[in-house]
Amino acid sequence: MSVPAARVANGATPAADVLGVDALTCRFGGVIAVSEVSFGVRPGEVFGLIGPNGAGKTTLFNLVTGLTTPTGGRLRYQGRDITGLPPHRIAALGIARTFQNVRLFGELSALQNVMIARHVRTTSGLVSGVLGLPSARAEERVTRQRAMALLELVGLADRPDEQGRNFSYGDQRRLEIARALALEPQLLLLDEPAAGMNSGEKRGLSELIRDVRARLALTILLIEHHVPLVMDLCDRIAVLNFGQLIALGPPAAVQKNAAVIEAYLGDEA
Amino acid sequence: MPAFLAAYDFLLVSMVLAAVLALSLYVPLMAGQLSLASPGFYALGGYIAAITSTRIFPTASGLYPVSLVILEMVVAALASAVLGLLVGVPALRLRGIFLALATIAFVEILRVVSLNLDVTGGAIGIFGVPQPFASQIQYMWLGLPLLGLCMLFVARLERSRTGRALVALREDELAADAMGVNPTRYKVLAFTVSAMIAGVVGALSAHFINTWNSRQGTFDTGVSLMAFVLIGGSRTFVGPVVGGLVLTALPEALRGVADVSGLPAWLAQFLRDGRLIIFGVMIALGTVFFPHGLITPGVLQRRGRRRADRS
Repeated sequence: MSVPAARVANGATPAADVLGVDALTCRFGGVIAVSEVSFGVRPGEVFGLIGPNGAGKTTLFNLVTGLTTPTGGRLRYQGRDITGLPPHRIAALGIARTFQNVRLFGELSALQNVMIARHVRTTSGLVSGVLGLPSARAEERVTRQRAMALLELVGLADRPDEQGRNFSYGDQRRLEIARALALEPQLLLLDEPAAGMNSGEKRGLSELIRDVRARLALTILLIEHHVPLVMDLCDRIAVLNFGQLIALGPPAAVQKNAAVIEAYLGDEA
Repeated sequence: MPAFLAAYDFLLVSMVLAAVLALSLYVPLMAGQLSLASPGFYALGGYIAAITSTRIFPTASGLYPVSLVILEMVVAALASAVLGLLVGVPALRLRGIFLALATIAFVEILRVVSLNLDVTGGAIGIFGVPQPFASQIQYMWLGLPLLGLCMLFVARLERSRTGRALVALREDELAADAMGVNPTRYKVLAFTVSAMIAGVVGALSAHFINTWNSRQGTFDTGVSLMAFVLIGGSRTFVGPVVGGLVLTALPEALRGVADVSGLPAWLAQFLRDGRLIIFGVMIALGTVFFPHGLITPGVLQRRGRRRADRS
């Protein structure tokens, strides 16, 4: 966990941060989706990421989870350089995510969806699994139990055998959260978790996120358009516009920031 | 019964071997990878058995030892695994139709190589592969246990951590990757298992059909195997097994129909020789009307429930 002194001194983020984003840049051809963005996410906080459509929020998530390789800059997770690692390695280190346009394993049951994400926390291989060795069977039992417990946590325990694609949009988002939690992450990335939910579901979601963070000692990075939810949940907020970080701070301060009002809250302010 | 077994001995064993080959195609498909490489490994296994039994352990007279056949099957499995790894690592960077094309090319390369090597007997191939049994139906002693083992293997695989990783890749590779499943690793694993199964069947087949040449295990075989899986069902191991059994028997059944008097000559001819055309049409219609094949987990569950209701 030790970090070279030089890096701590130079970097924009101290080693205590769970996630350190340092001058991160991502270019697609001539388009700069993320431009020299730097910030640090502190342990245990809910860190909001907001900005108009096309500001680069989801691209930033893709960079952090390894789905997109950055053109420049560094990513540090718990003091470790994770820039350029493939997604499954980053997942194994403890970063889990949900997707803006829900990517469940649609044909599989809710329970299987969650069980799959236990992959990196289990070890039985091809041979022990097929032979049904005692170790593999015990592991399978625990995997099933934990998956059921997570379905219970998100309120879907009554339909474990239902195919993922048969759930309502809101329930699919909750199932995705359960799947992400099965990975036992320390850092959870939620990409517009409230999209498509009605106001009752949104309130439930806020409670769920708070509950989960407290219970599992999580750090949460959250993209969300629904402003009341963001203001209510987040400890700090970063605002992106055209790929650039234009503001960073507690919700109240960000809300008053002139650049933010112009770029994002313009109409509502 | 003995008369039936004697009359259809070749067909019955062929059905069993086809079912195993269909499982070989099914395993990569679990991970969403349409690989048509199985005929290549089938050909490789056949050559290994044919060369071993005619050149290395030639038997002057009497039956060829069954233990040596089993040894050949094991060697074929290992050789196929090695070649599978070598081919799989680069080939599985390709997706969908490009992977299918690359595997077809692989099968074609093996065919041309075997056509031009001395050790494989060139265009003539290898004749007189020795027989371990006095009658063909006795190949069931090896064929049935092989089918049983492979079915058991795939059935248990489907319920294991590894099987879940494969299915996750089929459903959404990107999401599976983000959930910690290494796509390359599991695709190569599935491809290698598939290669081993095909190699073993090839080794047994070389004895069974007594001769081996470059016409065994070609693209045509690949089309048939694809028909077995896509029509039988690609969402549970039962699908390819039933597909392999039934569709191998189908041409014989059609031949029976063709012999019915009164049919126009062209129709009788088509029923006799149009196997690949019929399979092709079935694949085309099947993918439209039964995208997951005739036997799906849903069908099996409904049957199970009905049985439970009755008792």
